Amino acid sequence: MDSFPIWLSLRVALSATALTLLTGVPTAWLLARKRFSGRNLLEAVVVLPLVLPPTVLGYYLLLVIGYRGPVGRGLAAMGLELAFTPGAAVLAAWIGSIALVIKSAQAGFETVDGQLEQAARTLGRSEWSVFWSVTLPLAWRAVLAGTVLAFCRALGEFGITLMVAGNIPGRTQTLPLAIYDRVQANQMGEANALALVAVGIVVVLLFGLSRLARLRY
Amino acid sequence: MSGAVSVAITKRLPGFTLDVSWRAEQSVLGLFGPSGAGKTLTLQCLAGLIRPDSGRIVVDERVFFDAAANVDLSPQQRRIGYVFQGYALFPHLTVVKNIAFGLRGHPRGDRARRTAQVIERLGLGGLERRYPRELSGGQRQRVALGRALAIDPALLLLDEPLSALDAPLRRTLRDELREILSGWRIPAVVVTHDFTEAYRLADRIVVYENGRVIQSAPRAELLWQPASEAVARIMGLSNVLRGTVVKAMPDRIQILWRGHTLEAVNSPTRSYLPPPESPIAFFIRPEYVRLIRKDRGAPDTTHHMNLMRGRIVGEADFGTVWSLRLRLDTPGTAAQGDFDLEVEVPHLVYEILDIERDRHWEFSIHRGSIHVLPT
Amino acid sequence: MRRSSVSIVLALVCVALELGAIEAADPPSLTVFAAADLTFAFKELAPRFEKATGARVTLVFGSTGNFAQQIRQGGPADVFFAADQSFVDALSAEGVLLPETRTLYAQGRIVLATAKAFGPKLTDLRSLLNPQVRHVAIANPVHAPYGRAAEQALRKAGLWEALRPKLVFGENIRHTLQFVQTGAAEAGIVALSVANVPEVEWVTIDAASHAPLDQAAAVVRKSPRPELGLAFIQFVNGPEGRQIMKRYGFMLPGEF
Repeated sequence: MDSFPIWLSLRVALSATALTLLTGVPTAWLLARKRFSGRNLLEAVVVLPLVLPPTVLGYYLLLVIGYRGPVGRGLAAMGLELAFTPGAAVLAAWIGSIALVIKSAQAGFETVDGQLEQAARTLGRSEWSVFWSVTLPLAWRAVLAGTVLAFCRALGEFGITLMVAGNIPGRTQTLPLAIYDRVQANQMGEANALALVAVGIVVVLLFGLSRLARLRY
Repeated sequence: MSGAVSVAITKRLPGFTLDVSWRAEQSVLGLFGPSGAGKTLTLQCLAGLIRPDSGRIVVDERVFFDAAANVDLSPQQRRIGYVFQGYALFPHLTVVKNIAFGLRGHPRGDRARRTAQVIERLGLGGLERRYPRELSGGQRQRVALGRALAIDPALLLLDEPLSALDAPLRRTLRDELREILSGWRIPAVVVTHDFTEAYRLADRIVVYENGRVIQSAPRAELLWQPASEAVARIMGLSNVLRGTVVKAMPDRIQILWRGHTLEAVNSPTRSYLPPPESPIAFFIRPEYVRLIRKDRGAPDTTHHMNLMRGRIVGEADFGTVWSLRLRLDTPGTAAQGDFDLEVEVPHLVYEILDIERDRHWEFSIHRGSIHVLPT
Repeated sequence: MRRSSVSIVLALVCVALELGAIEAADPPSLTVFAAADLTFAFKELAPRFEKATGARVTLVFGSTGNFAQQIRQGGPADVFFAADQSFVDALSAEGVLLPETRTLYAQGRIVLATAKAFGPKLTDLRSLLNPQVRHVAIANPVHAPYGRAAEQALRKAGLWEALRPKLVFGENIRHTLQFVQTGAAEAGIVALSVANVPEVEWVTIDAASHAPLDQAAAVVRKSPRPELGLAFIQFVNGPEGRQIMKRYGFMLPGEF
């Protein structure tokens, strides 16, 4: 069994999830705590990738990061490329999964009593410190749940990846693409083996999550 | 010890406008009034959690807020200790971590020392490693206080510090709180809707109604001379009555009420001379209505002023005192629903006079016990 | 606490950026984007080419339509084998493919396939009207050339409207075959080149009943190794390649 897709997918999912946390948690905090115009627009944009068909999303993304697209040309000028590289797979996984972190984290932050944050401010803590010392510790379960979901989603990302990263064996063929490929080629034995690995990873992760969730603060 | 606070702000919210102005010198100031009057809103403006629309806030000679000069210090810069209603203790931190929370910038040794000091002074020894959910109401209140005091604030703000506690506890802690406040000698502003609490904790009381200040006075003055009927009502005074002026003199006022001409002392802080026939409000403290013993002959009028007769039409036992409702013998509509006066007698008096059986009484009210309320 | 918060964020950034460090396998010598129906044929053919030329070949199978989009946007194909020549012509006109390398490599045939689990082999399109045939699988006529051909054949036989309610669409020819393979569809119209699987029996459909499925290939203009791409196309059409292609049902006109 070719193990490249497994390792590729794990690394793509980890990178994508890290990116999701870095971008999703602040966005969730913004949506939970701040009033600003354009808020509804942001919420709609966040949910959009969950609603659009993946290959359509992939197509539009390709128009942007492909060598004819604005981002693609900019990157090419710097000697970099994104489309059809593992980086594009990370991008696809990030887009497909960020909404899960944002929605979970947002709900978590909203349940934190605003008065606690006020108290922290009067005690001299900066906004950043208020977030790290009060808001996040009290919402960590929601953030963790969203993160695990996002990781699983990133691991299983298919449609967008197919379009922007391509299904290139040994280069961008992630685990889901590899399974699909084997099924298409009627290699059911290998397809099943890969699918089992995917399921195994998810089961271990979800099991770990439920153990963690039972810890107290 | 400095710590003068001066507040003059306005804030417009949907359906409510706050427009208040008051000063306090280094002491405990009480903001007293019904719920929704704007007291908590004032505290939040003081703390920098809400920005007023206009005005100025100065604490201890530092300008916290000045709309005209566009000054608005953040809560972090103001060094104010805030004890929230409900305490807002951090549920995920232990008692010692809660108290030390505001001491982030201090070196570790200093932090530990101060925290230990606060814990000892507030009697929280032994509870350091507990979490808020494991504490009693009284303990939580002290932790909240300790957290605010640990940062050595220039001003302490307390929002209904006792309302989250049950009645018996409230009394003990009220006295404790008073001790703590005088012991720490930090100027404080206490918000409460309970007059007894305000009286016990504060030296000076500012009365709020509907976003405005309707009286600001030392507590004794407020107790004996509410500035108006509105204040008297907010204080929950009984026997707030209306009559007509017969004659007003600098030291006395004669009032026609329910067929009687009462004589009251005039308000000493101002010479209040309403013209005859004008309406006038006044109140009588229930515990200062004297029932006259029937076994001692006719009452001595030099001693017993404002003599009247009435029948007890209702009573309630409050454990140590009885509250009686008297209806005057004079015909006409009663002044307060189906009774005219509320009278309070200690249990002992109730028993000695056998009030349970004897319901018809003559009584007197000293002129000094009839307090005139300027309109 | 401040320190640990900053270090957590830094750690996340490192993990996120580590994407650049993802090692791929050694860069392939030749990347071939091939229509899904060529899967079996090319998997046998490519190693022979590798042996003959010493070059490495990476085969990528998928839908012709998707591939066309990807190549337009700079996809890393050296050579493109489309299931329908119209895609090759379009891309050539856009300058994305080298027109002088355009080569016909097969003419597709469609067959009527029956799931063995269903019962006796259906030999006539008309038998699809049989009420016991509840689902008929064809490739999506909107974007799959074999689907278009299936529709043409059915219309020619006057069966399109009657069969419409029973039709199930596959995204590509392999997907369509799977419906019949698994018995989800009792029968279907699939490419000859993929029909040789144990679960399915088939008969050919008259080639005259639909427009010819000319399948063409071309070399991608931006490929750094156009001669190698051309060599591969010529290998497919060469004696060794033709043998394999024929075995999998890909025949050139004249070979029918």
